[in-house]
Amino acid sequence: MGLYVSNITSDSQVVTDVKVLVPDAGVRRRMSRVIRMAVSTAVECVGGIEGIDGLDAIITATGYGCLADSERFLRNVISDKEDLLNPTPFIQSTFNTVGGQIALLRHNHCYNMTYVNRIHSFEDALLDAFMRAEDGEGGRMLVGAFDERTDSQYEIMKRMGLWRKHDCGEGSVFVLLTSQKEDSSIAEVLEIDFPSDSIGEQDIAQRYGCSDDDVILYNVCCTMEIYPTISASVFAQAVEKIKKGASKVLVYNEMWGMTPTVVILGCIV
Amino acid sequence: MRTAVTGLGIVSASGIGVYENLEALRNGRSGISDFPRILETSNMLPVGEILLINEELAAVAGIGAGKNLSRTALLGIIAVKEALKDAALPDGLRVGLVSSTSVGGMDLTEHFFAEFMNDSSSGRLRDVVMHDCCASTEAIAAYCGIKGYRTTVSTACSSAANAIMIGDRLIRHGILDCVVAGGADALSAFTLNGFKSLRILDDKRCRPFDQTRAGLNLGEGAGYIVLQREALLDKVPYCFLKGYANRNDAHHQTASSEEGNGAFLAMSDALSKAGISPDQVDYVNVHGTGTGNNDLSEGKALKRLFGDKIPYFSSTKGYTGHALAAAGGIEAVYSALAIKYGQVWPNIHFSEPVSELQLVPQTSLLEGADVACVVSNSFGFGGNCSSIVFAKD
Amino acid sequence: MEQIIQELKEHLIEELNLEEITPEDIDAEAPLFGDGLGLDSIDALEIILILEKNYGVKLSNSAEAKPVFYSVKTLAEYIVNNRK
Repeated sequence: MGLYVSNITSDSQVVTDVKVLVPDAGVRRRMSRVIRMAVSTAVECVGGIEGIDGLDAIITATGYGCLADSERFLRNVISDKEDLLNPTPFIQSTFNTVGGQIALLRHNHCYNMTYVNRIHSFEDALLDAFMRAEDGEGGRMLVGAFDERTDSQYEIMKRMGLWRKHDCGEGSVFVLLTSQKEDSSIAEVLEIDFPSDSIGEQDIAQRYGCSDDDVILYNVCCTMEIYPTISASVFAQAVEKIKKGASKVLVYNEMWGMTPTVVILGCIV
Repeated sequence: MRTAVTGLGIVSASGIGVYENLEALRNGRSGISDFPRILETSNMLPVGEILLINEELAAVAGIGAGKNLSRTALLGIIAVKEALKDAALPDGLRVGLVSSTSVGGMDLTEHFFAEFMNDSSSGRLRDVVMHDCCASTEAIAAYCGIKGYRTTVSTACSSAANAIMIGDRLIRHGILDCVVAGGADALSAFTLNGFKSLRILDDKRCRPFDQTRAGLNLGEGAGYIVLQREALLDKVPYCFLKGYANRNDAHHQTASSEEGNGAFLAMSDALSKAGISPDQVDYVNVHGTGTGNNDLSEGKALKRLFGDKIPYFSSTKGYTGHALAAAGGIEAVYSALAIKYGQVWPNIHFSEPVSELQLVPQTSLLEGADVACVVSNSFGFGGNCSSIVFAKD
Repeated sequence: MEQIIQELKEHLIEELNLEEITPEDIDAEAPLFGDGLGLDSIDALEIILILEKNYGVKLSNSAEAKPVFYSVKTLAEYIVNNRK
């Protein structure tokens, strides 16, 4: 029993039209931009909408959730003075909207969880999948992260001084995991750790038993554009490194004053 | 190995702390007020509001002036402090926190945004730094001295029940010895108007499982339980967490399926995980929001699972209102208290059974009962359905 | 009446985000819910707002109001009869 990566998809890799991925126009029409982005990534990751049928868990992770809809509803509450408000943005604003939508697409009744723990959300979701696999309840699990950029969020975080070194990004990454090694397995999740303090660059390799050939990826160094769940996108880069022959890749996620997380991926042996 | 419940902490419209809540339940006294007195809103609708302003809540929490914490965080700190004091954990345990919320720091964001909307350089930043859900968890951990692993979940109205499940897993997998798990949510103009836009707020007191029910009353509060590895117990616990399940109704974004599929699956899976048969259940603390749709759907699920041998059941939303993410935490506390005191809490404001169901909840305080096994239900938007099973041993 | 029907179709397309549907595609007498346009309970709430915001006509979401929601035509008739 372990945790194996069977497929991983980032929003930039979604090539199929959303109308093909989500054929029901009735389901599509209410989806905001971020929901469209995340659900499309999820469906592409499981190889088309029918792929949702075989899932035993849908676990999503987001730092800020469906920000644009939250903002739209809040704006309406204030400007329309709490009168005659459209319910749709309120319904779409909840953090579990994406997870719920994926289940709804194929009426999948499986375990459905949403983590909203800022920069740790994706790692918390991975840990959940890891524990389910160890408990023998794993099967096929879809774990995904998403966050959207809005003008207001950009402006507010700019005033907080958060865009000095990086720019404000957005994105979604979904990973299909299995608890058994399969022919399609491309990497194994070896460890998910939540150290209580920062670890200096010189100490990481020793602490996690990395050799000179192993790769260490730092989330804040891997990308110019960041968002709360950016480490999911660095995790995707780590999977790519494994595909290209690395035997072990460590993702070190630390930013915005939060304690770090460490995820270690290994090649299939 | 079993996971024990060793501490309880609660703040709701029915009172601050376990004692006040217990008195309200025993006397059938609702904490719902006719209209909001603390929340700034033009909606004169009944709410389960805690009648203290943020500065007063901070004083109750023992936090000095000028900290500007969100109302959600303040409610969470009060409840978690009580739960930890109650548990009186021995030294040296690895203690973590699994918290949940649906509005996070929205009460402060609303103030910020009203100014920011007109001028993007205005609005105090200190009113928006606590916006995200994680901020309340971090504040609770900091003020309650919780240093181990912590996380935050948000699955609408089933959130706290899910937090409790994750807490148990973290203990079973040896990551922590002890977890404080539950949820907190403050009333906000955002959620009050949100539920109003869905036209599911009753303009009178909510009447769960009653034929004349016309919607829910929104509430606020926090409810947390301390979960502890059985091997590390040094006192008699309230009860044990025996089983749980999280299933998705997958019927509609907001509405529950007519046959209560998600609710049925959650309850039946939770019981089988607990190794308990339906006829061993003594009491079900139902989700019972008082909306036409929820109560009908949940009632159908109860009938499917228990047949004509329905255990005692009641909704406690009439005391607290629907405190969203906190509801499952508040009701986990009520469930543990039912086991400890051998009492079943009355479902207030009930007079006539739903015609399609003909189910009658417990309407008076049942005392001296052997409440050995309780199921607590929490369902939410997005189809999230979770059930938790607590048992005496 | 015809004008209200036309307006209503446009409002529905706009407010309910009916992708790739033109007013001509909507049969004024066809059912809006279930098999017809496939609308659901959330759309019913949005339709109530369309009536109230644009025509000042109040409509409740009760069982008695169900026949009004049947089609674009029944909605238009309700507007004509209840407009002040």
